Amino acid sequence: MSDSSSPDIGTLVGQLAAGDATLRAEAAERLCRAGSDAAVAAVPLVRACGDDDDQVREWAVAGLEELGPPPQGSIPQLVELAGSRHPLVAYWAITLLGRSGKDAATASKVLAECLGSAADPSVRQRAAWALGRLGSEAATARKALEKAAAEPDPRLARLAREALDSIGV
Amino acid sequence: MVPAGGPIRRVMLPAQSACSVRLRSPAGVFRPAPAVCVVAGVLACFLACNAVVGFAQAPVGPMAKPWDAVLIASFNIQVFGESKMAKQHVVEVLTRVVRNFDIVAIQEVRAKSNDIIPSFVRAVNADGSRYHYVIGPREGRTNSKEQYVFVYDTNRIEVDPSTVGISPNPQDKIHRSPMHARFRTRVTPAEMAFTFWLVDIHTDPDEVPQELEALTGVFQAMQAARPDEDDVILLGDLNAGPPEFSSFKKIPGIGWAVSGTTTNTRRSKTYDNLIFAQPATAEYLNRWGVLDLQSTYGLPLENALEVSDHNPVWAAFYPAESRQQGLPPMAGQMPVRR
Repeated sequence: MSDSSSPDIGTLVGQLAAGDATLRAEAAERLCRAGSDAAVAAVPLVRACGDDDDQVREWAVAGLEELGPPPQGSIPQLVELAGSRHPLVAYWAITLLGRSGKDAATASKVLAECLGSAADPSVRQRAAWALGRLGSEAATARKALEKAAAEPDPRLARLAREALDSIGV
Repeated sequence: MVPAGGPIRRVMLPAQSACSVRLRSPAGVFRPAPAVCVVAGVLACFLACNAVVGFAQAPVGPMAKPWDAVLIASFNIQVFGESKMAKQHVVEVLTRVVRNFDIVAIQEVRAKSNDIIPSFVRAVNADGSRYHYVIGPREGRTNSKEQYVFVYDTNRIEVDPSTVGISPNPQDKIHRSPMHARFRTRVTPAEMAFTFWLVDIHTDPDEVPQELEALTGVFQAMQAARPDEDDVILLGDLNAGPPEFSSFKKIPGIGWAVSGTTTNTRRSKTYDNLIFAQPATAEYLNRWGVLDLQSTYGLPLENALEVSDHNPVWAAFYPAESRQQGLPPMAGQMPVRR
């Protein structure tokens, strides 16, 4: 077996910006293999979801699936990335904000915007899901959720209804 | 034939290779197949060994397998795509894993190329084995999609191609709709053979409770899918362990093979399992295991993680229908481990 050495997370994050796609894919794979230890790389991994190379994207997605909640300090950057035009970047930024629960209260506004106006259905659905995870902190998004709850997309409508339930009266 | 809750999407099958078995008669039933002569008991030590720590390394050449058990496995091969297939040492481990089992339900094929699984099965068969596969469509809500695959030993198992499909997903509650197929063993006379549905699933870790609830419905729909089939085995990466299986308990007799141990490579989570109901699936031999990649192949954690972040899990089933007479008594009809 090769690959016995393990570069630190910071080195791998730097490698995610390499010009060579093979190096970027290797970095994303190693960050993925680092499991929750790569939580500090949450933001770079979300950005890597917009990489031109599909293996970089796939490893970044796999890493994010296993990452758990991101560090609280990364929330402002994730809020920014939630508005990305790249649907996979937005989807994963929103997912990490949802995993942060009430700690991501400041994301309520951008999540409501994504819910209302994102072009990609998966981004809108994930925004409804994330608002549900914010619970009462998502009260300012009530109007957007009520609108989404009446839409014909059954998954979007269901998630919006669940989010409204979690906000409470 | 169509389960309640929505239509089943059919899946196109790859062309059968020259060595593959004949699959189906024109009448739409399984074609009788000659029993395959295998050496009984060769894997007895495997079945009797400590389920958690794995078993001895596979011998070179096609494996002799027991006549009195079929081994069904589930394996999430994390990001199984071009970069993984480019690593010969990883492919070597993966092929050795597959050769231990009669069927492996694989999750997480993530590749742009359509040649990943054909290449992989060629590698599995490089020792003379005769595995084939069925693969599902790309599933997922984003542009990062996954495919399910069943890889099976054609010497011992056949699939009814008309039954391969994507399970109903009412209200779009499941991120990656499960893939199902109906199989039959070939190690006993066809009229006695154990037939069963397999339902392959990889849940979304962010929506596990909702997906498990929906999978309970999928399981029940598959139970009702056809009157001549009472065996449904749902297997895969559930991102949840037995304490979270409460929704399944509404299914009479439901149980699961893996409990009390971990199934991921880091040995910290019990995420992978095989779920089925009794007494319907009385063919279950109460033998199951987790093939620990580290201890089985002598790999340090970092190298085992190169193969996958999940270990394969498996369970053994008697190859004849439990209602059949005239075969030696089953090794045991003990309840599914809870």
